[in-house]
Amino acid sequence: MAAASACGGAGCGPHCSSSSGSAAGAEEDAPAERMARLSIATGAATTCGKCDGGAPTVAASGGAGMCRECFRAHLFGKFKLAVTSNAMVRPTDAVLLALSGGPASRVALQFIHAMQSKAIQSWETSNSQALPAFGVGVAFVDESVVLARPEHETQTATEDIKSIVSSLSPGDKQVHVAPLEDVFSSGSEDKVARLKEVVGMIDDETGRDDFIRCLRMLSLQKIALENGYTKIMLGTCASGIACHVLSATVKGQGYSLPADVQYVDTRWEVPVVLPLHDCLAQELSLLCELDSLKMQQLLDRPCRGINSLVASFVSRLREENPSREHTILRTAQKLKPFSFNKFSANGYHDFLPSRLRPKFQNVDTNESTFSEILCLICGSPFSESELQNLENTKHKAQKKIDLYTAHCCQSCHFQILPSATDTYGQFFSLLPKFWTEKVDTASASSLRDQIEDYLLEDDDEN
Amino acid sequence: MHLTLEFGGGLELLLENSTKVHKVDVPIMDGEGKVAMKGLLSWVKANLIKERPEMFVKGDSVRPGVLVLINDCDWELCGGLDAELEEKDVVVFISTLHGG
Amino acid sequence: MGSSSADGARLPPSRAGSRLCVRCGERKAALKRPKTLEQICRECFYIVFEDEIHQTIVDNTLFKAGERVAIGASGGKDSTVLAYVISELNRRHNYGLDLFLLSVDEGITGYRDDSLETVKRNEIQYGLPLKIVSYKDLYGWTMDDIVKAIGLKNNCTFCGVFRRQALDRGAALLKADKIVTGHNADDIAETVLLNILRGDIARLSRCTFITTGEDGPIPRCKPFKYTYEKEIVIYPFWTTFPQNVIPGIYSPNAYRGFAREFIKDLERMRPRSILDIIKSGENFRISTTTRMPEQGTCERCGYISSQKLCKACVLLDGLNRGLPKLGIGRTKAGPGAERNTSRLQGKHGNFDF
Repeated sequence: MAAASACGGAGCGPHCSSSSGSAAGAEEDAPAERMARLSIATGAATTCGKCDGGAPTVAASGGAGMCRECFRAHLFGKFKLAVTSNAMVRPTDAVLLALSGGPASRVALQFIHAMQSKAIQSWETSNSQALPAFGVGVAFVDESVVLARPEHETQTATEDIKSIVSSLSPGDKQVHVAPLEDVFSSGSEDKVARLKEVVGMIDDETGRDDFIRCLRMLSLQKIALENGYTKIMLGTCASGIACHVLSATVKGQGYSLPADVQYVDTRWEVPVVLPLHDCLAQELSLLCELDSLKMQQLLDRPCRGINSLVASFVSRLREENPSREHTILRTAQKLKPFSFNKFSANGYHDFLPSRLRPKFQNVDTNESTFSEILCLICGSPFSESELQNLENTKHKAQKKIDLYTAHCCQSCHFQILPSATDTYGQFFSLLPKFWTEKVDTASASSLRDQIEDYLLEDDDEN
Repeated sequence: MHLTLEFGGGLELLLENSTKVHKVDVPIMDGEGKVAMKGLLSWVKANLIKERPEMFVKGDSVRPGVLVLINDCDWELCGGLDAELEEKDVVVFISTLHGG
Repeated sequence: MGSSSADGARLPPSRAGSRLCVRCGERKAALKRPKTLEQICRECFYIVFEDEIHQTIVDNTLFKAGERVAIGASGGKDSTVLAYVISELNRRHNYGLDLFLLSVDEGITGYRDDSLETVKRNEIQYGLPLKIVSYKDLYGWTMDDIVKAIGLKNNCTFCGVFRRQALDRGAALLKADKIVTGHNADDIAETVLLNILRGDIARLSRCTFITTGEDGPIPRCKPFKYTYEKEIVIYPFWTTFPQNVIPGIYSPNAYRGFAREFIKDLERMRPRSILDIIKSGENFRISTTTRMPEQGTCERCGYISSQKLCKACVLLDGLNRGLPKLGIGRTKAGPGAERNTSRLQGKHGNFDF
């Protein structure tokens, strides 16, 4: 799930380059520099390059400036295009937006609210003849335990988030605040201790960072499943994806990387969509500033280890060339996505106007729908060598721990599993059951297959 | 403390006359009569490096990509920044960041 | 002799560093291997360093017995160590290769003097024949002549294009079957990143190949593909190697410089990330439908080219006709032109005169 992890299940905000550790610091230190290429125009006399009307407020790199309205419309256009051209949201959907409090997820909230308002409006004016309006809810994953943040700060932050969301009407939006430790099944007596212990067993700093992102995704999945949401929307933006492209490359995840950088990711129980896929973090922060969108920076969570190194590398590249993030994204887009990177269920596209439907229906039927083996922890699809290793382990048929281990991708194996192999048993026993159970079921069914094969062979012989 | 410092791989270009080998007398910086690598680095930066110090140090360590050998031994095995030097030690700095 | 070891048997220092080699368990460890994090002694280092390269050569069947192999020799550390190791392994494992050093002399007064000196020393030390091909031989022009004809401003275009082809043309001239170059793991990891940064999917798909140009006249291979730069730098240090390897000038401005520094930062944080980047590069799912620039050959010289004439021939055409600006600049002529430009940007960083 590096995908969600790229920019964090709880929205792009704190984890993508724009607001992550070093980058964020630098921005605050030198606002003038940040705005050098994409900035609030001051005292420029010319008019907006788009509408010729209002005074330009935003000086975009290279081109003419845009007024605030055009700039907002420009970003909203990208958002809407991503939503519609990938059929991200259907009228019957309930969308769970992961809000981190950072600029990206904040803008996503604003935009999805705008789309919902419009849908509600047309539903009402058409006397319920139009398509029904989709539902929206907001999730916030509270990571205070792993961040050792004082409780009162988290309290303030969640109150803020609730007040931000409640100010958006029409369309009631429920806010779900879930502590990260809730990913452990309700049966476990001390979830906080369990979370701390399992995180404490991970030696690698980057591994710990990524592990928490995986838990965050799991947490979002859990909120969505328990509350009947059908889509999870993340604020992951182009800048965050660019960072993820590089960090995944650096972690040796070149094979699984394309799974994480698409608009749609249906490998999870509840599909994940990234409508801000084409917007830069810089643009999103600027819009928040212009529109005075209230954010919750208390929740900012700096990334660590390699993730932070990559974030500062990308911000350095951006200074040298503002379009570098787009170029990185373009490279990643040329890699082959996986079959789960689009909606392909039967009838999924039925609600679309018939003229648009063919666009989605040329789905290659030869392509296996969903046969990838995914990493137990991060959800990365297995590469050939990982599959080979898994096969070998299966055939040797021994302890469950070996099977769990073989179900971890090479990257998680290195950076997340504890260094001492004799502690694997303990480590896997602490993981959320949701993860390990999948392997249990898979292995049980494959065992059944093996037994069936065996019985069949027996029959043949007779 | 008398030490021999050698600079290679292009690092010598940062020094006066691009001299590679320097026999130096480094003052003892702490109360215990010792010189650690950390102290040596700041001494070198202050006293030998004539230009572009960022090619030699980053933060309080050598710039990544600069190889350090203490008496022919990888400094990573000697304790890195905390490695303690002794009289007549030979410390070599080689940059790997230059052309191949 | 490698620097300080010249003054004979020094007593092992009585400090924290006196751990034993994990391989032989006898001698004092002198190096922490970035690839494995093992602490090993000098003697074992030479054994594993050379063995790994031998293994790479065998596993990838880089050579066939009887082949005539040109070792691209620039006088830099990588090619110097490469020349030594390859000739040593050829002897030790009876590869049956006909090896020679191949150097290119651009004809820039003063620029190559030192490095050609180094290469000439290598010739004597390793007993490898040295062939120097000059730009004059290959193109009819020295770099100095070109500068005279066009001024200092544009000659980088020429350098990049001519340099890129020089080794291949030289090897062809000397009837080589194969070229080996000293690109190490750090270089390849850097190239993977650069190709991501500039969106060059065609290059991204082949930059991790250990052998390239197999469809062309002379394949090139990189026996140091999995060898860390740190070890290559240390390799000559403890031997009777010539020490004065010529440093290039490192340009901190280009984004190539950023990428290099990024890799070194990564290596410090997680040494295996260099190999992980290479692994990523090998495993990228590059769609077969992605349009790759078609590779034809130049009508005039036979060099690989996506256009009718290769870039070098276009430039030469201009020079010979007294229109040196011909072929310079971004004529959005096609993928070929683009490729050459990006290559140029890439190489620009460590080329200076």
